[in-house]
Amino acid sequence: MIRDVLSPFTAWKNLFREPVTIKDPLNERPGSARYRGFHQNDLDKCIGCGTCETICQNGAIDMLPVDGVPAKLGDSGLRPRIDYGRCCWCALCVDVCMTGSLTMSNEYKWIESDPDKYLYMPGVDKKHWDNAELGYRRHEERHLSPGDRVDMPELHAEERIGSFIEMVKGYDIAQAQLEADRCVSCGLCIASCPAHMAIPDYIKAVRNGDYERGVQLLYETNPFSQVCGRVCTHCCESACAARHEGDPIAIRWLKRHIIDQVPQERILQLIGKPAAPTGKKVAIVGAGPAGLTTAFDLARLGHAVTVFEAQAAGGGMTRYGIPEYRLPYDALDRDIAVITAMGVEIKYNHRVGTDISMQQLETDYDAVVLAIGLHQGRSTRIPGSDHPQVRKAVDLLRQITTGEKIDVPKSMVVIGGGNVAMDIARSMARLQMQQYGEIRVTLTALEDKAHFLADPVEVKESIEEQINILDSRGPQACVIDADGKLLGLKTWKVLSIFDEDRRFAPKYDPADEQIHEGKMIVEAIGQMADVSLLGDALTEKLEWNRGRIQIDPNGRTSEHWLWSAGDCVKGPDVINAVADGHRVATSIHCVLTQQEAKI
Amino acid sequence: MVMQALYDTLKQRFPLGELTVQRDNLAFITVEAVRLYPLLRYLRDHEGFSHLVLLTAVDWLEDGQFQLTYLLNNRAKCQDVGLRVMIPRDKPEMESIHDLWPAAATYQRELREMFGIDFPGSPRLEEEFILEGWHGIPPYRRDFDTLAYARETFRDRPGRETRDPAQHMKQQLYGDKGDV
Amino acid sequence: MFELDRSQYPQKKPDGTLDIDLSSGKYLKLWQGPQHPGITGNMAIELTVCGDEVVEGKTHVGYLHRGFEKLMERRTFMQCFPIVCRICVPEPDFNEYCYAAAVEELAGLEVPEMANWIRTLILEMGRINSYLMYLGGQAGALGLGVIGQWTTYVRDLMLDRFEELTGARIYHMFILPGGVRDRLPEGFAGRMEKALQEIESTLGDVEKVMFHNAVFKKRTVGVGVIEAGWVDSYGITGPNARAAGVAKDVRKDQPYLVYPELDFELVTGKDSDIYARADVRRRDLLLSVDLIRQILAKMPKTGEVMAKLPNVLHWKIPRGETYVRGECSRGEYGYYLVTDGSGYPRRVNVRGPSYTHSIALFERMVINANISDVAALLVSLHTYPPEIER
Repeated sequence: MIRDVLSPFTAWKNLFREPVTIKDPLNERPGSARYRGFHQNDLDKCIGCGTCETICQNGAIDMLPVDGVPAKLGDSGLRPRIDYGRCCWCALCVDVCMTGSLTMSNEYKWIESDPDKYLYMPGVDKKHWDNAELGYRRHEERHLSPGDRVDMPELHAEERIGSFIEMVKGYDIAQAQLEADRCVSCGLCIASCPAHMAIPDYIKAVRNGDYERGVQLLYETNPFSQVCGRVCTHCCESACAARHEGDPIAIRWLKRHIIDQVPQERILQLIGKPAAPTGKKVAIVGAGPAGLTTAFDLARLGHAVTVFEAQAAGGGMTRYGIPEYRLPYDALDRDIAVITAMGVEIKYNHRVGTDISMQQLETDYDAVVLAIGLHQGRSTRIPGSDHPQVRKAVDLLRQITTGEKIDVPKSMVVIGGGNVAMDIARSMARLQMQQYGEIRVTLTALEDKAHFLADPVEVKESIEEQINILDSRGPQACVIDADGKLLGLKTWKVLSIFDEDRRFAPKYDPADEQIHEGKMIVEAIGQMADVSLLGDALTEKLEWNRGRIQIDPNGRTSEHWLWSAGDCVKGPDVINAVADGHRVATSIHCVLTQQEAKI
Repeated sequence: MVMQALYDTLKQRFPLGELTVQRDNLAFITVEAVRLYPLLRYLRDHEGFSHLVLLTAVDWLEDGQFQLTYLLNNRAKCQDVGLRVMIPRDKPEMESIHDLWPAAATYQRELREMFGIDFPGSPRLEEEFILEGWHGIPPYRRDFDTLAYARETFRDRPGRETRDPAQHMKQQLYGDKGDV
Repeated sequence: MFELDRSQYPQKKPDGTLDIDLSSGKYLKLWQGPQHPGITGNMAIELTVCGDEVVEGKTHVGYLHRGFEKLMERRTFMQCFPIVCRICVPEPDFNEYCYAAAVEELAGLEVPEMANWIRTLILEMGRINSYLMYLGGQAGALGLGVIGQWTTYVRDLMLDRFEELTGARIYHMFILPGGVRDRLPEGFAGRMEKALQEIESTLGDVEKVMFHNAVFKKRTVGVGVIEAGWVDSYGITGPNARAAGVAKDVRKDQPYLVYPELDFELVTGKDSDIYARADVRRRDLLLSVDLIRQILAKMPKTGEVMAKLPNVLHWKIPRGETYVRGECSRGEYGYYLVTDGSGYPRRVNVRGPSYTHSIALFERMVINANISDVAALLVSLHTYPPEIER
């Protein structure tokens, strides 16, 4: 009891103690290294994807344009502005940031008399903590969304090199949903797609397993989903927010997955019937992606569309240029079947210029579209390139498609570093494998490996398929012996490709000369349009631009009745051709209905 | 297994609905409303489930039902049993258990206020618990929209606006280009 | 302590309710709170007194109802994570842990071992903070203001540790579904040890000044007794039960996280009065100090801290329901989570120990208490109002 009376007096010992409080906390007490203080944003790293806004459970973040930060492919030009009246400093915005641009400083004091100042745009509103080194950073990995792409099941190199069987197997449902799950639905990809497909929405359809909705979304912007789901150049993936710290979403494979999941009959039902006939007639020259997209759109709007195709089947370059192992013909046939089901009539084996003239089309139809693609290979014009065993890649690819007999050489050289060069090298390698059991294909490209024009995946797969790829080699001559037999290709080392004005002017090192053995040489250095079908009169009348028919932004030529679309005016690319087709169809529809209105 | 054994024991005395074994020490059992009280008393007095952990409701709006969850704990055996009782949403009423656990009265008062579920006979049921002067539908029901309520009740801070990245890019980069 | 038989007043009506006629002049209504030094946080108690004796008490809550449970129904599973901690200010981490564990269980996520160690560490750190605040409050309710100053000082040391570990002092937002945000910072254990030593030394002073104090004892021994029989009927858990001799502690009863790997004995008392409860909490605090030392010594040095999560922006969890509990400084803290297969929780119900302690139990205990003891009695139940109204 006495102890309980005396014991409390021990508190007096604190009389002699120093205070424990901090004298000047404003200056002496910085936040800890991980402190979640005021935000910082690296404006150059930020891509304005708005994922921070999406995850903010307080609704504290707005995405707004900033002077000096223009929208460009892969960057919306918007930047986050945070309402510090709402922010709870949970840092989910930092954790979810797709580029790691958004961080937090360890600064926690900010005094202001104007409350509106707390609508704060980090990085734009300059603050003394902008360069603070301490503060909350996301854990090394981005934990809140998976960074790695779901691997696409493919045939191994050994399985695929003996045949033309499609090498990419396609995702199954579980794989596709996992891949679709990675998408943050920011929509940055839409602008970079030439056809501006509703990418986040159709990926959402995959996530929800709603494939019919997915098909409807695809057909809103692209009647070539089978084709684009396989061979699209997927510009979208290079604008994907996920690519900054991980793999971009496999948008192309997801598109293919959707179209793979829905039976053909159901697709026909889903896209519905064409509008009532308008009585207008449109002729389209060329049944490639551009021509058929135009045809599809116009037929849906009720116009009568006839397509003239010189070859025996539709698809244009996608059929006659892209090897079967990348795009099986039946997939292409399914896309075309939907288009013809819309009422589009395709006249195969009708070569305009021979079987029917352009003048005739002009007279018989209300509008004509020229979508003839690029079917004529360019030549290097090096000495010996007129030898019969020096061939053009496009011609050979077409022969392979049509099943013409090809004299497969035991060894060959391909000139070119683009996708067409890879296509012909890999196709010929397969034929060599089938016939001789071994592959001897050498591919020489002007560019060095870092600047190859071909898709990196194509290069990787070509190497897997034993194609001998040589970079920085400039073709000098085709070596022919006294008997006129082709021996191979002579190349020099490339020193530079362009001059100071970025003009094509390759410089070589003649000392570094090599002869590549080959009984055949294939030139794959580019294509051009075969415009002979126009006839002299029309060729004369039309306006031209650097060898291509001049068109206005809507694809209309200088002749009021003639439009042109696709590779022949825009250069080779499927999805661009599709986009072009839509543009031209819209333009034609507009003109045709305006004429109607005038009457 | 343990939870299954308990279920089998109980089943001999009471008609029971579905059993969901969530963990080896936690299971949920669906029971009819009329069976609840004797079952609770039995569990409390004979099976050692003497601790009422919580009593709460889940609104299954689309099914027209409220789920009442009575969670009981047996400390000696480290087991938990959740009894699920489904009652119709249009006549939400349930027998009070305040005489089994005095603490239950508070839960029931709250459920009455937040979900509009009646427990006749429970003490001070009519007294306001958390809400004062509330006139709308009971706010924890699914059809009470918190966002709509907040928009009606509070003003947004002026100066807030946002843009959708995809729309903004369309406007800036390709908008009307190419269209006639 | 009282000489009259106070159970005579007020008399009961035939229906069992109290016969309190305010107009008789015998009784007085007295509000303690919502702003009052003798109240714990934002709540109020409505007392009816007869002289200096309380004849009836009613707890009023609703002063900080923010509707968290409802708000979570329109937030994705990850978006719920920053708001749960706000359900309890002094010891927010149990909300984060219980919520995360419930989500992980229903989503079938396996949490890396390292994360479990760090979670346990954080929970024990939070327990220390909570007890330190309590000790200050308990002493303050009886006029011993200096204790609160001491415990606030050492609590601040612990807040510094929280700051360097989690990046925040009060709402740590560190335990998220899937794991924890990061590993321990460099040199953390050493700085923690210094803080623990300071806490122990301060607790020694607290013991001398508060617990060996004739005045404190006179005001608390034998006052506010919880009968052991009430433990189940009122859902009493934590130190309130342990001071009544009921060895009830989730850390032992249903060991979670890494508690099975820690060596400890439960702290219990027997007198079940205010003094016993304070003493149990003081000793439990020392237990936490010991547990933190064990954790820092035993925890692995490396390892992942987060499980592989799906994209949290559209994370869906299959239909199910579960209840996850932990032992917080006040007793059993638990989350009842119901999911319906969508990307949002169907229902979240937070079971805070204060819910029963400060309403049903307190209303029972306050009857016949002396008005001057009410504050000490309420504080001795260690209640935090936000977990009552969530």
